[in-house]
Amino acid sequence: MTNTIRTQMLGKSYKSADVVTNVEMTVKRGEIYGFLGPNGAGKSTVMKMLLGLVRPTSGEIELFGEKLLPGSNEHLKRIGHLIETPVFYERLTAQQNLELHAEYMGYHNKPAINETLRMVGLLGVENKPVKQFSLGMKQRLGIARAISTRPELLLLDEPINGLDPEGIQLMRSLFRRLRDEWGISILISSHLLSEIEQIADTIGVIDKGRLIREVPLDSLRASTTDYVEIETPNAALAAYVLTEKLGISSFKQTGDHILRVYDTNVSREMLSKTLILNDVPIESINRRHHSLEEYFFDMVKGGTAHAASRQTGA
Amino acid sequence: MLHLVKLELKKGRLGGYVYGALIALAAMAGLLLLMYFVKEEGAAPVFKDRMDMLKAVNTIASATFIIYASALLSKLIIGEFKDKTMTLLFAYPVSRKQLIFAKLSIVFVWCFVNVVLANVLLGSMMLALDHYVGQLSGSISTTQLLQYGGYVVLQAVGAAGMSLLPLLVGLPRRSIAATIVASIFIVSIVCSNNFGFTLSSIVAIPLSLTAVGIFGTYLSFRNIDRQDVA
Repeated sequence: MTNTIRTQMLGKSYKSADVVTNVEMTVKRGEIYGFLGPNGAGKSTVMKMLLGLVRPTSGEIELFGEKLLPGSNEHLKRIGHLIETPVFYERLTAQQNLELHAEYMGYHNKPAINETLRMVGLLGVENKPVKQFSLGMKQRLGIARAISTRPELLLLDEPINGLDPEGIQLMRSLFRRLRDEWGISILISSHLLSEIEQIADTIGVIDKGRLIREVPLDSLRASTTDYVEIETPNAALAAYVLTEKLGISSFKQTGDHILRVYDTNVSREMLSKTLILNDVPIESINRRHHSLEEYFFDMVKGGTAHAASRQTGA
Repeated sequence: MLHLVKLELKKGRLGGYVYGALIALAAMAGLLLLMYFVKEEGAAPVFKDRMDMLKAVNTIASATFIIYASALLSKLIIGEFKDKTMTLLFAYPVSRKQLIFAKLSIVFVWCFVNVVLANVLLGSMMLALDHYVGQLSGSISTTQLLQYGGYVVLQAVGAAGMSLLPLLVGLPRRSIAATIVASIFIVSIVCSNNFGFTLSSIVAIPLSLTAVGIFGTYLSFRNIDRQDVA
C-alpha cells in the first residue's frame, strides 16, 4: 500500500450545479499534499467526501488501499480531520473535548491527550471551557484533536486560518514532524500557495471543481528558475567582478541597481565575499526563485481555458 | 450502544436535569395542593373522587414532562445540528443510526421514568393527604390501585412516545423554539381538561400518538447513514 488516498472520476453534483467533477487525486503514504485552489473551488467538498460526510454522485474513493463503500466507517478510525471552522462542545474544557473525541474514536490512551496539547502549545489552558478560547486557540485545539488519536491520515482544511505567525511556524514544524516521525499522510488545503509551498511534497491544484494539475513540488522547484538577486549602487562594477573574478556569465542586469545571477553553482556566501573584497558596495543579496504563485496563477487560468475547450469538444 | 448513551450523558452534563426534574416535581405538588385546598365557598371540590384526583396527577405529570423532554430533545439532537457538532459526531467510526438512537432513547427513558415517578410520588402524597383531611369520597381497593398502576405505565409510555413528536416539527427547521412550541401544542390538545375529560384519558390516543412519534422519527433518520451532512 503506497497510496493513502486515491480517487477515480470523483464527482459531486447538486441539483443546480456540479461542485466537483472527475477529480483523480493520489496522495502517497507519508507525504504532505497541498490542495490548492481559490475559494469555492471544491476543496472542502472533496475532503468531506473522503470523510463520508458528503456522498459522491459519481466515481470512487480508495482509502488505505480499500474501496470506500457507502455506510462503512471503520476507516474513520484512521483519519484525523479539521474541516472548515473547528467546532467543539463549548461548555466542556479543552481536555474534556479531547477525551470525548478519543472515546468516540475508540482510542484509549489518556497520556496521549496531554502530549498533543503540549505539541500544539495549549498546555496550561486545558481546563478552561472552550467557549473562552480565541479563534486561534480553537484552531490549535482543532489540530490537537485531529492528531490526538495518532491517525494515519490527516485532513486539514485551511488549518492556518486565524493563527498568529508564531502559531503558523509551530504548525508547520508540527506537520513536518508528524510526517517524518509518525509517517502520517497529510492533506492540507489552502487558497494561498505561500501557505503550503514550504511544507508540501506534492501540490494538487483545483479550480471550479476540477483537479487541474498534480505535481511533485521538487520537480516544480527544479523547473522554476532559481537566482540570486544582488542590489548594489554600483551595478557596473559588480558586473565586472562577476565576469572577471568569478567567471559567471549567466546574469542579467534589471534596473539600475539590481543584478540577477542565474548560475546557482556559486554560493551566496561566495558571491558576497568576492564582491566585498573587490569593494563593491552591497545593499542586499538574496536567493529567490521565480514566483511559484505566478506559475500557479497562470496554470489555473490556462487550466480553465483547457477545461472549457474540452467541454465544448465533448 | 450503552457506551454511546454514557458518552451523551457525560457530554451533555445531564446531571443538572435531575435537579430540574426535582423542581418540576415540587411545583406540581404545589399546584395539586392548591387545587385540593383552594375553592370557592360552597362550590364542589375540584376532584370528584380519589380516582379522579389520581388521573389529574397523571395528566399534570405527563404534560410537564412531555415539555421537559422536548427541551432535552432540543439539546441532544437539534442543538447538535445547529452547533454543527453533529458533523463531528457523524465523522466518527460509529453508526449514525446508533448515535441518534442513543439520543432518542435517553429522551424516551427520561420522560417515561419521570412520568412514572411523578405519579407514584405525587399520587401517594395526595392519597395520604386525603386520608387525613378526608375531603373526598370513594375509597380505592388494592385491585383498583394495581389496575391503575398498569394504566399509569401505559400512560407513561404514551407520554414518552409523544415527547418525540416535536422532533418532526423542529428537525426540518433546525429550530429549538419550534420544537418546544410543538410540544406545548401537543400537550395543550392531548392533556387539556375539558369538564373532567382529557383526550389522554383514552389510552388508545396517547398510544397511537406514540406509534406516530416513533414511526415518524424512524422515517426522519432512516437514510441518515447515506445523507449528506453538511
